[in-house]
Amino acid sequence: MSDPKTALQGYVRYRAVGQVAFLLHRLTGLGVLFFLIIHIVDTAFVYFVPELYEHAIQLYRSLPFMIGEIFLVWAVFYHGLNGLRIIIFDLWKPEWWEREFAIKSVYWVLVISVLLWLPAAFTMAKHAIEYYSGG
Amino acid sequence: MGEPRVRRVKPVAASEARWWLWLRITGLLMVLVLFPHVIVKDVLVGVYRIDLEYVAQVWANPLMRVFDFALLFLTFTHGMVGLRQVLQDFIHTPSGRRAMTWVLFVVWAVVSLMGAVAIIGGVKLT
Repeated sequence: MSDPKTALQGYVRYRAVGQVAFLLHRLTGLGVLFFLIIHIVDTAFVYFVPELYEHAIQLYRSLPFMIGEIFLVWAVFYHGLNGLRIIIFDLWKPEWWEREFAIKSVYWVLVISVLLWLPAAFTMAKHAIEYYSGG
Repeated sequence: MGEPRVRRVKPVAASEARWWLWLRITGLLMVLVLFPHVIVKDVLVGVYRIDLEYVAQVWANPLMRVFDFALLFLTFTHGMVGLRQVLQDFIHTPSGRRAMTWVLFVVWAVVSLMGAVAIIGGVKLT
């Protein structure tokens, strides 16, 4: 086991914006996986303990979760798009790892993930407002 | 001048390349299942409208069960292999890594089995 502090410092002090992409990829990945495990278990309730499923969904209808869910969707978008970038570079276009282009591609992924997320976030916020104003 | 100095590096196990490739293959396939799942359930339908009856209706279509099976398998294996990748940065000894992989495998197997049984068993409407 290495000192976690050393590893974490390595994450943020190493190289250019690509390191930010790497860190965000890990954080969004861990966050989404954490939710995924909960989500698989709560969905399994529909078969094992149906009453508990309704209870779980009731929790998902709480305001903190509805707000968190909006950010969860960004995490999925970012992780997916950045993952696609890595896959395309690694498997088909290794020459695109060239420094200048790779740095540009990080900014593109950030911009596209936010642009795709905005309409989704808007729709989800609208749902939450409607739900909480009795719509 | 004696023997030329040779730097010996223990090569990374071939299995690591398969884990690496697995993340990329599942990542690509997930574009087809996870993006639609998130956009439909979280954005278009809205989780607040989902209940037992909704799930029963969706799973009335066997194709949706196949879809959810693919979703479960791809996302969760991708996630657990990814977690293994992250933990490798913190655990360096071969025995530690072996133990970590086994723990992750057991968690993966138990949770996957729960999900799979539920998809096959369907909604128990009371």
